[in-house]
Amino acid sequence: MDGAAAAFSVILPDRALRIENLGMTQAAIPDAAIRVRNVSHQFGEVGEARHVRALLNTSLDIARGELLCLIGPSGCGKSTLLNVMGGLFTPTTGAVTVGTTPVHGPMPHDIAFIFQESALFPWNTIFENMILGMTFQGVPKSEREDRARRALEAVGLDEFAAHYPSQLSGGMRQRAALARALSLETQILLMDEPFGALDEQTRMVLGEDLSVLLSRSKKTIVFVTHSLGEAVFLADRVAVFSARPGTIKEVITVDEPHPRKPEFMTSAKFHRLRDQLYGLLHEEIRKSMSQSAKPKRAYEDQAKGDS
Amino acid sequence: MSSPRRKFKDRFASRLVQVGFLVVVLLLWYLATTRWGVNKLLLPNPLNVWDQLADVIRKGEYLNDLRITLTELAVAFVISTVSGTLLGYAISRSPYLIKVFEPLFAGIYSIPIILFLPLYVLFFGLGPASKIALGTTISFFPVVLSTIAGFGNVDKVLVTAARSMGASDYQLFRFVLVPAALPVILSGLRMGFTVALLSVIGSETIASLAGLGHRIVNLAENMDMARMFAYIVFVIAIAASLNTVVSVLEARGRRQR
Amino acid sequence: MSAAVPTHAGIRLQQYLWRHPGIARLGVVLMLFAVWEIAARWFVDPMFLSPPSKVLFAFGDVLATRGVPAALRVTFFELAVAFAIAVVIGLVVGLAVGLSKFGNRSVMPIVLLLYGIPQITILPIFILYFGIGPASKIAFGVTHGMFPIVMAVVAGVQNIKPILMVSARSMGASHWQLLRYVIYPHMIPSFFSGMRLGMTGVLLGVLLAELYVSTAGIGYFTSVFTQNFDPTKLLGLVAILAAMAIVLNEFVRRAEVHFARWRD
Repeated sequence: MDGAAAAFSVILPDRALRIENLGMTQAAIPDAAIRVRNVSHQFGEVGEARHVRALLNTSLDIARGELLCLIGPSGCGKSTLLNVMGGLFTPTTGAVTVGTTPVHGPMPHDIAFIFQESALFPWNTIFENMILGMTFQGVPKSEREDRARRALEAVGLDEFAAHYPSQLSGGMRQRAALARALSLETQILLMDEPFGALDEQTRMVLGEDLSVLLSRSKKTIVFVTHSLGEAVFLADRVAVFSARPGTIKEVITVDEPHPRKPEFMTSAKFHRLRDQLYGLLHEEIRKSMSQSAKPKRAYEDQAKGDS
Repeated sequence: MSSPRRKFKDRFASRLVQVGFLVVVLLLWYLATTRWGVNKLLLPNPLNVWDQLADVIRKGEYLNDLRITLTELAVAFVISTVSGTLLGYAISRSPYLIKVFEPLFAGIYSIPIILFLPLYVLFFGLGPASKIALGTTISFFPVVLSTIAGFGNVDKVLVTAARSMGASDYQLFRFVLVPAALPVILSGLRMGFTVALLSVIGSETIASLAGLGHRIVNLAENMDMARMFAYIVFVIAIAASLNTVVSVLEARGRRQR
Repeated sequence: MSAAVPTHAGIRLQQYLWRHPGIARLGVVLMLFAVWEIAARWFVDPMFLSPPSKVLFAFGDVLATRGVPAALRVTFFELAVAFAIAVVIGLVVGLAVGLSKFGNRSVMPIVLLLYGIPQITILPIFILYFGIGPASKIAFGVTHGMFPIVMAVVAGVQNIKPILMVSARSMGASHWQLLRYVIYPHMIPSFFSGMRLGMTGVLLGVLLAELYVSTAGIGYFTSVFTQNFDPTKLLGLVAILAAMAIVLNEFVRRAEVHFARWRD
């Protein structure tokens, strides 16, 4: 893997080049925040019952400061790709670089994660959760409380600092998870269907908040979702996945400045883009539904495989 | 990710640890009695124990004790199963009754019921009746508690759906309530069986005239160590096979509901 | 519960009981005691059963019987020591087995095998090895109490939601930090429920051994009272022991509730 990564840093100079990838092309982006090159990933071994080819020869560049949505049918490997980007899985083949660093494991100083279920530690209060995240990351003790408070204020949870996660609603828990990620002050946020378990109204509000936050913070965000509306509303670009083994079928640009207003959702542009996405996805969703049922969440497989 | 080869090695190594544990225990036992001169009255030679076990089985000497123990067990388990499931079902029909009785049973269950044994001996004597009484009392609680939990926690949606399709009371019971509650009840029955077995053998050990527990104590008092160990092995084997049978029945019951 | 003629007061009582199932439960218990009282007073030979009213007034007598307070102290001592040893063994073995996947796979079946053995069959061996004093009771209590604790600790270490571990790793947690801040706090509630089950086991083991043979503990007095056909004192002693068991169980249960308060 080291060799491959080193090779890429040589092959990829800072100019746009086109990558041949299953007949489709994507522009390489100069000075990208994250580069994904020819990543394939499979769970289990060939011939085993739990063998799954999750991701097939995928390449993608994510520009600094953009919000990129990954969208696709269930089990298509979009979460797998996110985990590979963040160094939580080592891909079977291929390589990821963040800035100029090849990714070989978690990069807590560059990348913060937000997961679908709140990954808050249930035995700690919201505030303790903030502190603990920064402890893990290695933030000096003197700075932690201050940063925790600021992050909680940014998501409007400062009054709930002393609550336990179980005392909050799902939406508030995800806000808290967002605050914890923000307190880590990384340039990159990887969000794995963060609003997936929430009701429609809550996710709309959180989506608006996220758009505002993005326009302020200039963070690079990769956001996995299965909601067409959410993808169009939030993303600068939407990468559409094919059915399993997943790879990127097409990337659509949403040319609309942040912060986005709710009115955007009723505009003709929004509907055109949404319909375009639906057209791209529809066939893949049918394909994936006819595949084996019950896709497991990728990290569960991974955790069972190597913990 | 671990390769299949490494996984195989891993599995092999863990089997090795398990088999090794048994081998080492037997070996230590053997060496202790033959080489290190441990008193035969404390630890008999395993080969002697083996001979005695063969003798016990060949002569059929165990038959009477086994019959008594199994009869006590069967009577106790049947009584507690019938009373526990009927009472549990009756209570489970009303959330109010659940609130009244469930904590009561759970509370009594949390005290060590073995304490009642002297009372039962006083009341029912040293014969099988006191063993049956203790076995019934102890196994009643897991059965009744699991029956209440099983029937009490059936998903309301299932009941509503069946009613909406016109299910009669009997159909509701037979095709919705029983299948939904069965896994919980069956594991309660299995637990009831296990504790009934333990309490029957336990009360035979403490105060009795016959039965497998009594036999072991009798041999201990006569310092007939090799034969006592043989009986212990025998009883453990019987208990293990009974528990296995019950587990298999439980699994089958779950599948066939 | 429904009166034949629903009077006003009857309806009020019914409504009150409906709102307070605890009171109704108390009523059920009192009714059972009443049945016992009536049975013991008029229907059963007083050689075998005493009415609860008599037992209630006999507590003083029981405690005044020579040797009984000392026997209770001995039994309490046996329970406490056995519980402490079972907790230490359970925690150490549980952590050793639970923290390593290999340890879990190779040793856990052995633990389950040993736990499955009906220990009551080897009680005579315990007496033989440890004598008829407190040592054998403690040993028997330990072997009954430690297995549930081992299994609870193993479960507590292993049943962590994978996402919490992944999330901690993504924030840069070291192995030590995972142990200290994720695995340890996650294990605590199941450790305490293991201790509750362990306490049940210790009570069972110690009392079994006491009842089997005893020269100084309560087992001695239960057999004396039984042989003397003195149901009043026997019931009194059993009630005292049951109360002791309830207090010990409740103590551990409270601790469990306290340490698991973050769970919803």
